[in-house]
Amino acid sequence: MTRSRHLLLAWGLLIALLAIEFGASFLALDRTARPLILIPAALMIAVVSVTFMELRRGPEAMRLFFAAGLLWLCILLGLGSLDPMTRINYYVLTTNLK
Amino acid sequence: MWLFLATEMLFFGPLFLAWIYSRHWNQQGFDAGAQQTELIIGTVNTIVLVTSSLIYTLGVSFIEAGDSRKLIQCCVGAWLLGLVFLWLKFGVEWRHDFERHLFPASDFAIDGPHRDGALLFFVFYFLGTAVHGLHMIVGLILVGWIIFRARRKEFSAGFYTPVSVVGLYWSFVDMVWIVLYPLIYLIGRGA
Repeated sequence: MTRSRHLLLAWGLLIALLAIEFGASFLALDRTARPLILIPAALMIAVVSVTFMELRRGPEAMRLFFAAGLLWLCILLGLGSLDPMTRINYYVLTTNLK
Repeated sequence: MWLFLATEMLFFGPLFLAWIYSRHWNQQGFDAGAQQTELIIGTVNTIVLVTSSLIYTLGVSFIEAGDSRKLIQCCVGAWLLGLVFLWLKFGVEWRHDFERHLFPASDFAIDGPHRDGALLFFVFYFLGTAVHGLHMIVGLILVGWIIFRARRKEFSAGFYTPVSVVGLYWSFVDMVWIVLYPLIYLIGRGA
């Protein structure tokens, strides 16, 4: 398969994933489950990085930098999300107890 | 270039973290804000940007085969689509947002119990799209520079490193938008 055809197929896949993501946004999902709509977006990023950015064809160092960037991004988002995801708010009684 | 892109991932990271944090504490307000965004323009812009990335990458494959003329044609196509994106985003969508008083200021249009969450959403929206737009402008300058150099016959099948490097940046800007699109337009839409 020629590279041009390969790229066109990747573009078709991206548009299909976009359509899935668009359609999923109209589903009656629970508010907390709605970030699942990001799954097609994650797949789109994988397609762009492997095909348009030639991650598969490039040298090892390139994949290392990509993996390092991704790892630190995961650490940033993971540690940063820990507080809001795990905090329990204890409500204080505000009426006068006297 | 990949090292630079790794730093760029971390540059956009806090923006995505801000979305997670703010939405977690203000889900209803955030979703009320998201429902005011222009879904059609956002979706068309996503298609435009993905297509622009495809066309530029086709240009890279043409110069790999030594076809400088087709590289220039692809770069011009990618550049024009980038311009269409910026026009739709800032010339049309932002203008509508300002007219509808959705800029987070004293005359903010959304009232009621979800006002604060919606305000936070639009802070994220304007900041995210502005920072992404700045990256787009830098990308357009770089693609223009590639066109200028290609017209002077500086690239061949033996030397096209700058073409590949600018292609990486252009696709990265595309990737950032692929994340911003659901965060802005989709997640709060059907809630």
